[in-house]
Amino acid sequence: MIDKQFLIDFETEVKERYESGEIKAPVHLSSNNEDELIKIFEDVGEDDWVFSSWRNHYHALLHGIPRDTLMDLIVRGKSMSVYSDKPKFYSSSIVGGTIPIALGVAQSIKIKNDKNKVWCFVGDMTFESGIFHECYKYARNFDLPLQFVVEDNNLSTNTPVDETWGRKQEIPSDIIYYKYKSDYPHHGTGNWVLF
Amino acid sequence: MKYKDELIRSMEWLGEKDDTIFLGQSVKYSGNAIYNTLRTLDDSMKIETPVFEEVQMGMSTGMAMDGLVPISCFPRFDFLMRCMDSLVNHLDKMQVMTENTFKPKVIMRTSIGSTNPLNGGVQHTQDYTKIFKDILTEVNVILLNEPVEIFPTFQDAYENDGSSLIIEWGDYYNEK
Repeated sequence: MIDKQFLIDFETEVKERYESGEIKAPVHLSSNNEDELIKIFEDVGEDDWVFSSWRNHYHALLHGIPRDTLMDLIVRGKSMSVYSDKPKFYSSSIVGGTIPIALGVAQSIKIKNDKNKVWCFVGDMTFESGIFHECYKYARNFDLPLQFVVEDNNLSTNTPVDETWGRKQEIPSDIIYYKYKSDYPHHGTGNWVLF
Repeated sequence: MKYKDELIRSMEWLGEKDDTIFLGQSVKYSGNAIYNTLRTLDDSMKIETPVFEEVQMGMSTGMAMDGLVPISCFPRFDFLMRCMDSLVNHLDKMQVMTENTFKPKVIMRTSIGSTNPLNGGVQHTQDYTKIFKDILTEVNVILLNEPVEIFPTFQDAYENDGSSLIIEWGDYYNEK
């Protein structure tokens, strides 16, 4: 059972190994959203697919990627593209990139009449993008087993999302949504090298 | 057999597989040349999509990750330009990014728009084969010049690992 302290300790170890120079690729660390994610992942099934982004360590751990496996990926420079076939997990570091892929998996699940489900975690800038709305509309209209989760820190790298769009869209009721403010910068720890 | 007949034969062969599905604009309804190569297939194995090429490409990738073999149809090469992120940054990079854990098999069809008897103009007739061969590192890019090449190309695309972008000449539907 993964608890809040387990998640915090994991990111702390990544921070230390990154600052020591052992990790020679960007890392995007999470903080202050442990409670929300632990609750959300109570509903994520073992056979479900999880799609995430560059900031994916918590999602990966909570979906069942073993701690050592994940740390090995990160140390080898793959923090931004964590993956696993069992449990089913995929991430991408381009805004909006995973959304149509998640949609396709959900379409396949429906075609095959399987019982698992797809979870797609996106940030609030991604939520505002055109491709999100195309995919959301398609998934909703065809009743595909795809659950979107919007994680809102009102930042895209260091750009305030609400400022760039003038204002933010309302969140549909069938999307899981939470706000948080991380203690970590967009990438790195603030103490190492800029990407 | 002629060019178009070989395409029809290839699609019928793919349609016999348990895991294939055909998607794109005008796969069920007339509107472009590719439609005429899919007419003999049952509609139950087709998904007529909205015009959302980038989503279509990503969707095809996701369907392939979950075990299907999508035959994803983009009526003209010019339209394929609208899905460069899904194609170049995602489908084409997935094997490397996942250290061969995910090797989605997507069979993409597109066509260099015909110029005879009607010329569709510069937005509908471009041949970007060379650019795609240069930019794609994992996806196989094949230009179908002769009728005899067509069936083996689709057969290889289905039977081998990885994804393929198979390019047709719109003009050859009538000429060869």
